[in-house]
Amino acid sequence: MTATDTLRRITLWLTLSACTAAYAGTPGPTYTLVAARSSLTYTFEQAGAANVGRFNTFTVRFDPTAGTLMVVIDMRSLDTGDGQRNDLLGGHDFFDVARYPQARFTATRLQKTATGYLATGPLTLRGVTRTVEVPFTWRTTQRGGRAIGTLDGATVIRRLDFGVGQGQWRATEWLGNAVTVRFALDMTSAAG
Amino acid sequence: MVMLRNTRTRWGALSQFLHWLMAALIGVQIGLGLAGANLPLGMSKLATLARHKSLGLTILALALIRLTWRALNPTPALPGALKAYERRLALATHVALYTLLIALPVTGWIMSSARGFPVSWFNLVQLPNLVRPDPALYHAMVLTHIVLASTLGLILILHVAAAIRHHFVLHDEVLRRMLPGPRRIHPGVMDDRH
Ligand code: HEM
Ligand code: HEM
Repeated sequence: MTATDTLRRITLWLTLSACTAAYAGTPGPTYTLVAARSSLTYTFEQAGAANVGRFNTFTVRFDPTAGTLMVVIDMRSLDTGDGQRNDLLGGHDFFDVARYPQARFTATRLQKTATGYLATGPLTLRGVTRTVEVPFTWRTTQRGGRAIGTLDGATVIRRLDFGVGQGQWRATEWLGNAVTVRFALDMTSAAG
Repeated sequence: MVMLRNTRTRWGALSQFLHWLMAALIGVQIGLGLAGANLPLGMSKLATLARHKSLGLTILALALIRLTWRALNPTPALPGALKAYERRLALATHVALYTLLIALPVTGWIMSSARGFPVSWFNLVQLPNLVRPDPALYHAMVLTHIVLASTLGLILILHVAAAIRHHFVLHDEVLRRMLPGPRRIHPGVMDDRH
């Protein structure tokens, strides 16, 4: 490596650090969901095949500067693509949406990672609260004076940790314990 | 010596093996289907239907292997004493059986895909969905599957009755040549009975 190369690298690094510092210093916007362009899905294994469903109604507030992330899911918006399966998964033995109409995740810690963030905090689902880690990527662009962000990620939780699957449904041979929760969110800054 | 290939007078070992293996599997398959459809929604229904799907796909694969093997082999000729309508009936039931052994798994697979339940083969491999979720198609496929399964049941009764008639009434070789046993010494006798 030549001396010029080294110098160029150092300059680049210094510029980037300065920008990051400047960015972190300014109070950033709070982002809220563009519901029509966002999705929240889950996948679990049933008899060796992926079983996928979604929640159609949920809210997300994200402030990267303040380091806050809050997600509230309307459990009654569960959509499995099949009426009988909606009744089963929404019923007492699974999500029991009549008694627990909301699920909630609040990040109590937001760590910067190479590609985005790692959010850690309590997830309350079916009345049970457990700490989960949620890694996600975060990209922003400017559009018409507004900051537009995309928040994408996935995490794996165990349904039985939250009592999702009571009685005979506790067995995991035909209905896997691991559930992958995926989200692809379009967010817009509240200011603008 | 066991002959793997068919001859003009006898089913070979592979044809026999596939015939009786599939006969046994189809018995189990119909039982699993009826049990699965009638169980209340619960873990054992999921398990029963998962086994039904895996076994059904196995039967599909075996049927395709069997048809390929049939195309590569001579087919034993029916006894000369049979009347033209009996030959046509034998041919028709055999064509219908092969058709059902393919149509039943395919309609089952479309049914599962249309309902948004992907299919796996014995929890080992997940198969692609044949169609997108579609409730109307799902209902049409359930009905088709049940009608086809009932037709299979009726044709099998006819098929078994025919085998019994050949053996005990006509006293010909038809059942024996589908069973393992000593090879016939005078194949020509076949066409000279009655
Ligand atoms: C040779 C192959 C097959 C045979 C003989 C067969 C036969 C049957 C029978 C007799 C039933 C019960 C019908 C009723 O009473 O409702 C049934 C139901 C069913 N079969 Fe099959 N089947 C075959 C292959 C498959 C395959 C490959 C699949 C899926 C991949 C499948 C999926 C189903 C399902 C989901 C039901 C339950 C339908 C309901 O909800 O009532 N079948 N089958
Ligand atoms: C699920 C049950 C069964 C299925 C799906 C089935 C299917 C078939 C098919 C497709 C053939 C035609 C072979 C060909 O021409 O390539 C055949 C032949 C035959 N089957 Fe079955 N079969 C079943 C059960 C039985 C049973 C229980 C018997 C006896 C009691 C039987 C006796 C025979 C005999 C004797 C033949 C030979 C006919 C000939 O030599 O021309 N099958 N079977």
